[in-house]
Amino acid sequence: MSEPFVKVGDLRKVFNGTTAVDGVSFTMEQGEIFGLLGPNGAGKTTTIRMMSTTLPATSGDVVIGGYSVKDRPVDVRRLIGVCPQGLALYLELSAIDNLMFFGRMGGQSKGEALERARENLELVGLADRAGDRVANFSGGMKRRVNLAISLMNRPQLLFLDEPTVGVDPQSRNHIFDTIEGLREDGMTILYTTHYMEEADRLCDRIGIMDNGRIVALDTPHELKASVGDPKEVTLEDVLLDLTGRRLRD
Amino acid sequence: MMPTLNRPLALAEKELKMFFRDLQMLFFSLALPLVLLLLMTVAFGGQSQFNATAHIMNLDDGPLGAELIERLEEAPGVTVDLLDPDRAQQLLEDSKIVNLIVIKESFSQRLSEGQAPEILIRHRGTGSTEGQIVNSHVAGIVREMLGENLMAQQVGAMLASTGSQISAAEVRDRVAELFAKARENPLIRVEEEAIGARPEPVAQFLPGIVTMFTLFAISLTAVSLVEERRKGTLERLLTTTLSRAELLSGTWLGNFGRGIIQVVFLFGLAWLLFGLFTPASFVSILLFGTVAVASVAGIGLVIAAISRTPEQANWIAVFFTMIMTTLGGSFFDTSGLTGVMAVLTRMTYNFWANDGFRRIILKGDALTSGPMVTNMAVLAAIGLGGWALALALFRLRGDAR
Repeated sequence: MSEPFVKVGDLRKVFNGTTAVDGVSFTMEQGEIFGLLGPNGAGKTTTIRMMSTTLPATSGDVVIGGYSVKDRPVDVRRLIGVCPQGLALYLELSAIDNLMFFGRMGGQSKGEALERARENLELVGLADRAGDRVANFSGGMKRRVNLAISLMNRPQLLFLDEPTVGVDPQSRNHIFDTIEGLREDGMTILYTTHYMEEADRLCDRIGIMDNGRIVALDTPHELKASVGDPKEVTLEDVLLDLTGRRLRD
Repeated sequence: MMPTLNRPLALAEKELKMFFRDLQMLFFSLALPLVLLLLMTVAFGGQSQFNATAHIMNLDDGPLGAELIERLEEAPGVTVDLLDPDRAQQLLEDSKIVNLIVIKESFSQRLSEGQAPEILIRHRGTGSTEGQIVNSHVAGIVREMLGENLMAQQVGAMLASTGSQISAAEVRDRVAELFAKARENPLIRVEEEAIGARPEPVAQFLPGIVTMFTLFAISLTAVSLVEERRKGTLERLLTTTLSRAELLSGTWLGNFGRGIIQVVFLFGLAWLLFGLFTPASFVSILLFGTVAVASVAGIGLVIAAISRTPEQANWIAVFFTMIMTTLGGSFFDTSGLTGVMAVLTRMTYNFWANDGFRRIILKGDALTSGPMVTNMAVLAAIGLGGWALALALFRLRGDAR
């Protein structure tokens, strides 16, 4: 049996005495879409930040493509792409300028970055708006630019942190199609969302987090089966069953 | 090697694109200093280099004394102050004026008779350089008037000898008319051409304006770097293979580019509007400006490194620029300062930059002269020090690798 592409081992993060992530462990196979679900403050984004090398872990380690995040962060960065929860874009620049800029930050030449930017804008359905300022885009279009940027360096592992927040059904559907296309190309994806039907549709396996820990990890079908008839039960029922109905923020 | 250069260049390119698309920043960096320069043009641009007041006591009842005063008022840079005898005496006694021109009672009569008219100059000491120049103006005008009267008399006498019926008054008026035309369109036109530096307020203040606005604009770019941290683009950059040194180099390069645009724009306009430069001195000012801007770009990085929020960066930038501008002598001469103030002023970027710019503009100093080399060495040290300090601070915060 081959080594998993991603190994998260007993990952912990403590901020000023508060434990945000508490011994999280899981693995991801190459080409898998792994969903990380949980209420607000469960530790999903902190886990992604540690996995993507921007936040040092208090303890534990992540190995991606054979490289330890702790010891070989630069090698890890060559393998990953991050689509953050917030719109990390330059609104004053055009869509293509944004993509090219991040491509060049990944070490691409100007010509190479231009070529990939065009490909990625085509992929997210914004080729005809390439030269327009992002500030003039709708929320859904900005989300698609946000996603396109994360693909600039042709990552083997893509982190998608709530990529469909606040977008209309058309844009959301386009983003789903894009993600499914990326899976067909063999990309490994870690996906977080609050929309359970998205996770059900896209994810091969799902880890449910609460209070910094993974409280359940399985396929969507098995998770649903664990609380009732999978045809009747939704992932939302599973989440509420595992994490309770208490408000978190 | 190529990626190392590629990334800082891409960062700088992005900074410049955003600079040109930020109307507020463009106004602040280029238009506001330009407005100040234009105000100076209006205030000082058309002014003659010579300015003096001619204090005159006119005792002549005839028309020619008044004509002398009229012509003197037309002289460039001369303002006439007419005084009555008591007031003139009082001002002289109080040393409030040091040069008084007295047009004597017989002035019109003697002049119209073709005799040398009498002007009395009363002065304290030498009567001041300005007073002496005014006196020369008066003497020149009186000589002209005497010549014109003699000419009118000669022509009148010649006409009378031929039996002409034209009266002496008509001849005098006609001759006066011709001389007035000649004065309006002189056969010899004298034009001023300033060679080298001109000791004008524009030349004195321009370096201060340029250093203040480059420092201000670049300090404010620190706000944008801190803003990147807030909106998440900085974290996104850190998930790429960009290194901390590349991030700082690129940001520095972007700041440097903005500063160079300001320096070329403002000094270029000053050349066009005020004629402050020769081609050689313009090249010198640009080369020195390059060192100054490299220095201030390093300062911008330090402000970005120590600020935690955009608001904090904004206030630090404003406070820092105001202190540096005030202490650094942007709008006053620091050469007379002694003691602690002399030390404090030398601790500012503005002092060394202003001194260098002023030496080139006002004194025509070469870049290889001792004081200019010192200025450039200090500015380079500030720039490198700023870069190294910012790198250490970023490393300490763990913002970048």
